[in-house]
Amino acid sequence: MKYRYQDEMSPPPARRVTDVAITRFEHVFEVEPALMTDHVTQQDFPNWDTLRLVRSRADHLAWMHRHFADKVLSGEELLHDLDE
Amino acid sequence: MPDPEKRPETTPEKRFAEEWRNAAYNCFSSGHKFCREVCPVTQVTRNESWSPTAFHANVVAMEQGELEIADVAADYVNCTGCGACELRCPNSLFTGDFYRFRTRTVDLVKAVRGLAVRQGVHQPAWQRWNLLTDERGHEPVLNGTPVDQARVRDWAAGLDLPIGGETILFVDCEAAFHRTSVPRAVARILNLAGYKFGLMHEQWCCGGPAAEMGYEEQARRFARHNLDDWRAGGVRRVLVLDPHDYVTFTEDYPAYFGDAYDIEIVLVVELLAELIREGRLTPHVPVERTVTYHDPCRLNKRKGVWREPREILRAIPGLTFHDVDRVTQWSYCSGAGGGLPVEKPELTARISEQRVGKAAELGVDTLVSACPWSERPLSEAGRARSIDVVDLHELLAESLGVAP
Repeated sequence: MKYRYQDEMSPPPARRVTDVAITRFEHVFEVEPALMTDHVTQQDFPNWDTLRLVRSRADHLAWMHRHFADKVLSGEELLHDLDE
Repeated sequence: MPDPEKRPETTPEKRFAEEWRNAAYNCFSSGHKFCREVCPVTQVTRNESWSPTAFHANVVAMEQGELEIADVAADYVNCTGCGACELRCPNSLFTGDFYRFRTRTVDLVKAVRGLAVRQGVHQPAWQRWNLLTDERGHEPVLNGTPVDQARVRDWAAGLDLPIGGETILFVDCEAAFHRTSVPRAVARILNLAGYKFGLMHEQWCCGGPAAEMGYEEQARRFARHNLDDWRAGGVRRVLVLDPHDYVTFTEDYPAYFGDAYDIEIVLVVELLAELIREGRLTPHVPVERTVTYHDPCRLNKRKGVWREPREILRAIPGLTFHDVDRVTQWSYCSGAGGGLPVEKPELTARISEQRVGKAAELGVDTLVSACPWSERPLSEAGRARSIDVVDLHELLAESLGVAP
């Protein structure tokens, strides 16, 4: 990872996904920035930090599955258990 | 506690809290506290006043006028800046990229320490450390023997490295004066690969440690000097072997200089992995050790760099490598960061002992790190368990057949 300020602080162009969400990186969604101007304003977010969080989340979820998920249940089975 | 009768309308604490209140309430109102179990200080002390949650809760109390900085400044010593808490926080890990608003406990701790220093509340060892750094231009890493600006390049003796050039290698204070075999290994490896680089004209400490301990003006002054030196020498690219420097150059310097910061920063461990991938380096000398790898916090947690060190280790013949995955290692730390070993070496030692204990459970004889700062406390803890602590760059140099 070569760090250059201008590269990191220039996010890819945003593409609208819904009225309240945009996307800049593949499979990564962000809230519409206009909704983050009144109470909580957005932070400076270099590209590396967005990608670090996305990749860490995937790694963490995989880790959780490896450590704690030893069985896969369908939603139907869960509902059936609740009914009983 | 402040006297309510004499409490002014606006205090430095309240002005500080205005900036940090949203993040503080975010934490205070969530209360899930996943941060605590990955925090190295909490793990060994179970002191709730030293937890990442408490660091945010104090800001809420400051905003309410219930706390002055002098009441809590000493609590904020108890953080290595490892970044585990802020990464594990759901407000970062699960929503940070969505809102472009994440938990920034490391920045908060630095800011509180800065507030304390501005208010004249000093921690004695930190004050002395930064005074000596200011006097000498480098951190006093030699246990009482003064460091010397004239000797900052002594580690490179006999290597015939040029001064200046488009690409330079920046060597942190610990490696330049104490762990000198690490930069020598890096230099020899880069020379072997035919990678051209030089050294700085007048290198000062990066300023990162001063920033971490709250001495912001000093940190900025040192950063200004280094950037000016780079520009005067026509430097376009800085190679960094120390993860702490890497964070300073890619987070602090951009915050200080903004758009004017036009230097490319390259992490040496990533460069070496690339050179191996390209076939420009081929480790061939077997290294008969049973090792595990310590993910330096500032690489793994704070920068997401964990693949390349493992790539390098797996390229070294002869090694038996017992890997522990990067997520498990979010809760590992050497205890060497954030100024903790300066002010509370006994706490650093407890954290290091815990980390080396994890390595001992694997039955290894060697713990490999890629952070010069981690290697001193880890080595001290390793001696009690007959576990060698070895730097990744040195290990690679050995396998490439280049002597330090």
